[in-house]
Amino acid sequence: MAWFFHLALRQLFPPGKRFPAFAIVSILGVGLGVASLLVVQTVMNGFGEEHRLRIRESFGECVVVANRPISNVDELISSLNLEEEVLSISPYAEGPALTRRGSFSGVAFVRGIVPTDEEIPARGYVVAGDFNELDDGRVVLGIGLARDLRVKVGDKIDLWSPVMVDQAEKGKAPLPAELEVCAIVRTGFSEVDNRAAMISLRRFRELWSLGNKVHGVILRLDDPSQAPAIAARLNQGKPDLRFVPWQEIKKNFLEAIRFEKTMLFFLMFIITLVASFSIGSTLFSAVIRRSREVGVLVALGAKPWQLVGLFGLQGLWIGALGTSLGFVLTWTILSFRDSILGTINNLFGDGDMVASVYQFARVPLHYEPMDFLIAAVFTLLVTTLAGLVPALWAAGRKPSEAMRDV
Amino acid sequence: MSEIVLQAKGLKKSFKSPTGLLTVLRSIDLEVYAGESVSIRGSSGSGKTTLLQLLGGLDVPDSGEVKLKLSSRTMLSPHRCLGQGVGFVFQNYQLMPELNAWENVALAAQIAGQGESEKEAQALLALVGLSHRIHHMPTQLSGGECQRVAIARALINQPAVILADEPTGNLDEVTGKDVMNLLLEVVAQRNTALVLVTHSKEFAERTQRRFFLSSGVLTPA
Repeated sequence: MAWFFHLALRQLFPPGKRFPAFAIVSILGVGLGVASLLVVQTVMNGFGEEHRLRIRESFGECVVVANRPISNVDELISSLNLEEEVLSISPYAEGPALTRRGSFSGVAFVRGIVPTDEEIPARGYVVAGDFNELDDGRVVLGIGLARDLRVKVGDKIDLWSPVMVDQAEKGKAPLPAELEVCAIVRTGFSEVDNRAAMISLRRFRELWSLGNKVHGVILRLDDPSQAPAIAARLNQGKPDLRFVPWQEIKKNFLEAIRFEKTMLFFLMFIITLVASFSIGSTLFSAVIRRSREVGVLVALGAKPWQLVGLFGLQGLWIGALGTSLGFVLTWTILSFRDSILGTINNLFGDGDMVASVYQFARVPLHYEPMDFLIAAVFTLLVTTLAGLVPALWAAGRKPSEAMRDV
Repeated sequence: MSEIVLQAKGLKKSFKSPTGLLTVLRSIDLEVYAGESVSIRGSSGSGKTTLLQLLGGLDVPDSGEVKLKLSSRTMLSPHRCLGQGVGFVFQNYQLMPELNAWENVALAAQIAGQGESEKEAQALLALVGLSHRIHHMPTQLSGGECQRVAIARALINQPAVILADEPTGNLDEVTGKDVMNLLLEVVAQRNTALVLVTHSKEFAERTQRRFFLSSGVLTPA
């Protein structure tokens, strides 16, 4: 072991000292900086992932649409069934409608679906009733729309489609469709929850006079992250259709999440930077305090690069140990996140924001190895530099000057 | 007469001061021979430590030169070969507080790039009478013991000359005498030259050649 390696270790953790204050405070400072950086990043990743999942489940992983209703839907489904990447195919039709119950009314965005389709994601978001009871006489409502209409499971609503308006203009007197609410869903997406109404595809075609056509097909893929490439490939040879991957459906929203995460990374990195500056200043005062020792080391033949190594290594080790501590703290904080959040909510009386605003059962997480790697590299770089500056200063001094200092 | 191990010619050194340039040393000439002991006395602020630092290469003179014998053929400026050929003993011992006695002695050899330093360090600590305290930290040693460790450290690289800057300055009279006896004994045993800076006339008189530094000029005492 090089002498300066051994001496750096001893100076950082002096033998016989139960509490090496400089080392412990510095490592703790870096650890807390790294932990705050990674906790924020991991939670942001979690929110991002959760939102992506909601987007996929609410809008599909790839949606096939056209400029006009798709008439040869059976043929399209047969051809898509041959594709390995496609796990399931769900035809749908959709359109706005007026809904009413008593004196309460609301505009619904109605989607006609195949009730027996087990792949319909809304099945996972039922908060009341039973999705399996959906048939030609029943409807599933988003929770916001159900509240607007003041309905619960078992109540009946009236629904007017635009086709009925056409009939009224032609002098006919159409009767609204009467549908019984069989389930209420809450997805967390306000635009879905406040407007969604799901009825059977057969009933939709009848109410919208759609014949055997559909407005689109929702695909579930074996690798949703590859949706853009798969969509582009499937689109080949089908000029009348447009395959839209889920990343395109809510592009601006996803971009906003990514931008938020990047901004928070830089804001949180400032904390680590502050911790590193404090290490720099502490190391600097340590070097000044050790001026005579530096002079003696030079008198014994120590080379400037060895002195740089002696103090630079201390910065590097503080960074390495602080980063490791930061990783452990991150994992610990995130493991107990629900208890921590519960305590905060109890203290400030904010209620469960995660559940009420984001509709998530718990604070979402997503560990991204690249975030940990970037945090470690940046921290090591900054703490090593913080150690190098005083080290270079010490190495540049004349030993006779250094030995005159107290 | 034996060969010269340290040679200073026309050494001059000045420092900037608020009142102008302060000349501390004016044309110092000194030759030190192998195995001999030389003392330099002078009042406080006369430039003794500065001279020692120039001789040991810890500072560079404004003019003049210092040459140190490194091998039978090589004479080099000590400034260019720090840690080789010269051993230092300082008034405040200057041991590394985080290393024990044994590690402090071995450190000098490790910095100089010498292997097998551990056994040699143990032997030297035994030579200075500290074989029972090799694992003690400097804070656990008395002033006299610390200075013994410093003497062992100065000897480990087998220097041609040891430069001792008031090595008894921080010690009581009895301990000071013990340390001085040890220093003179071990340099004689190992045929190492000694340049001793001291205030003590008594210690100075025990060296083979004596000088007095006053007004920047070195004169035989």
